Amino acid sequence: MELPLTALKDGESGIITSVKASPGHGGGRGWGFQKRLMDMGLTPGTKVMVVKSAPFHGPIEVHVRGSSLALGRGMAERILVAIDK
Amino acid sequence: MTKKKLTIALAGNANVGKSVIFNQLTGLHQHIGNWPGKTVEKAEGTLHFKGYEIDIIDLPGIYSLSTYSLEELVSREYIAVERPDLVINVVDASVLERNLFFTLQLTELETPMVIALNQVDIAKKKGIEIDYEKLGQTLGVPVVPTVAIRGIGVYKLLEAALETIEKEESKPRQTTYGEEIEERIEKIVSLVEKIGFKYPARWTVVKLLEGDEEVEKEVSKKNPDILPIVKKMAEEIEEIHGHSCSTVVTSERYELAGRIAREVQQIMPAAKPSTSQRLHDLTTHRVFGYLLMAATVLSIFYAIFTFGGYASTFLNDVFYSWEPIFENVLGKGILGELVWGGVEGIVAGVTVALPYIAPFYFLLYVLEDSGYLSRVAFLMDVAMHKIGLHGKAFIPAMLAYGCNVPACLGCRIMETRRERLLAAFVVTMIPCAATTVVVLGLVGTFVSIEWAMILYIIDLVIIFLLGRVAFKALPGEPTELIMEMHEYRLPHLKTVVSQTWFRLEEFIKIAFPLIVVSSLVIKSMEILGFLELISDALSPVTVGWLGLRPEIGISLIFGVLRKELTLIMLAALLEPAGLGVLTPVQMVVFALVTMLYIPCVATIAAFVKEFGWTKASFITISRIIFAISIGGIAFRILSLSKIL
Repeated sequence: MELPLTALKDGESGIITSVKASPGHGGGRGWGFQKRLMDMGLTPGTKVMVVKSAPFHGPIEVHVRGSSLALGRGMAERILVAIDK
Repeated sequence: MTKKKLTIALAGNANVGKSVIFNQLTGLHQHIGNWPGKTVEKAEGTLHFKGYEIDIIDLPGIYSLSTYSLEELVSREYIAVERPDLVINVVDASVLERNLFFTLQLTELETPMVIALNQVDIAKKKGIEIDYEKLGQTLGVPVVPTVAIRGIGVYKLLEAALETIEKEESKPRQTTYGEEIEERIEKIVSLVEKIGFKYPARWTVVKLLEGDEEVEKEVSKKNPDILPIVKKMAEEIEEIHGHSCSTVVTSERYELAGRIAREVQQIMPAAKPSTSQRLHDLTTHRVFGYLLMAATVLSIFYAIFTFGGYASTFLNDVFYSWEPIFENVLGKGILGELVWGGVEGIVAGVTVALPYIAPFYFLLYVLEDSGYLSRVAFLMDVAMHKIGLHGKAFIPAMLAYGCNVPACLGCRIMETRRERLLAAFVVTMIPCAATTVVVLGLVGTFVSIEWAMILYIIDLVIIFLLGRVAFKALPGEPTELIMEMHEYRLPHLKTVVSQTWFRLEEFIKIAFPLIVVSSLVIKSMEILGFLELISDALSPVTVGWLGLRPEIGISLIFGVLRKELTLIMLAALLEPAGLGVLTPVQMVVFALVTMLYIPCVATIAAFVKEFGWTKASFITISRIIFAISIGGIAFRILSLSKIL
């Protein structure tokens, strides 16, 4: 099952399947956004665990590749994951 | 004997202890400036070791060598074009996999290098044990374990560095990608070799496959035939994998980093969470995190204002006790008054810079070095989003309450130019320590502390609304927060002190000349009797529209130098009756206008330095118009409603 990363509860994890490009903008900044996520280690096939999310629809903290990352919610929504049972 | 010169660059992710190693290596012999033509910081220092004079360059902390940020661009150009004799890659042993991703990119630049496997103590606490010799063999690079904050391994690191340089012929092993990628690289690499590009040919091909716009542009200039071929290859790779070629390349690099990390490290999860982990949970907690943050911020302000107020008064008294001596030497003539005006300017600079800014910087660097500020950025992300910024912008915003100048320069932590401008626009509206002196000293003392608080709230609302307007008006898409939260650790005192010192030096360089020059200009106008003329000319605005007294025109002009001068001048101009002759409404309106009307001259200078004259003048002029409009409206509302 494919879900946006933000649909996971605290402590749940999944495997990244793809990252949606930013809405409305082809190329340009969209490329920068995707590249940035890749560079931070959020590549397809990577296991991510949601640690917690900040209140009021704030950023989420994820555990990936042995490190802790804070991700803006809008960004996290565009990361699709497959949930492992 | 002439010394042999060498250049060594330090490169690595953010927060891996790179600047600590830099400090350990160079001690006091260091210099911080900008990269030519860029608003990216360049830290340089020298070191004498075994008959060599070694120039050490501390590159910015980055995660990759793409063109996402100016820092990344500057770093890769430096390594590829300036060709330092060696790169020391500082690696955080507690986050090996992510750090190795960057290491692999450095090896692709084919530069001789040595790895400093830093923070092995923190890694050990996390239950991570690394076989550093095996790591070195795998990468084809010497690896030296270090604990930089205690100086452990730093000497060995230098020895390894020199040995590597002296050996010459020491290219690190290359990253090998999947067969379908390697095949294609091989086909085109000879063509790229022929154009004699500044970057290594193989690296150039990989970057072209990744769709790196900067490399594409420059390669096309030299040989326009290459790009279409590579584009076609990239499409083929995309077809095989179902992901963009850039994603495939990055994934493979990460896969390799992960594989190496797994081979060389042993992880034994600790039985109970570490102190760092518990601190992290607490400081990012949805309730306690905010409470702790509020407590931290408030106690910093309390400490700064108590200490700063005390120290500032003390320094002022000392300086003004020298006034008679000056008068004796220079006489009471025009020259004497002018020189004293200049001296007063410097005094003012010192009495603000030392007592308020220095401790503020110091505490913030302690918090930053320990890792707390990244947690604050995590908590504040939502609030900052409303004005199109992300959590990291809260850091310069906090700085701004102390002084707008460092805050404006601090906006460099934002990734893009758009964000930097937006953040700077917002932070230069925040009332600094000097403005607070005016608001508390006038409204807080003569009207009521509640009214002072109300003014602060109104100001925050205005900042928020204007921030939102600017965010909607500026073209471009907001970038979102993406930030590593590293393990908590003890800050390194020497590094924090030297960071504080360099910030202070920067402030002095920007602010002092301006404060002195403009003090002289205003003093001359005063001597020539221009000030009366100006206050008369301004009276339709100050008296007619704002409902204030004619003297206020002059005090607002002085306030451009430093905000607290508005109050000091006003008190002097209203002698002998004093500030008490103002009505409460006048006080509130005056304080409101002082808060809003213009950033001080030093802040404008910082803004010009970062964004150029056009933007600085535009913002300055529109702020004056805005403040006067709001002031007049406030005057009318307050007079009509009779709540004061």
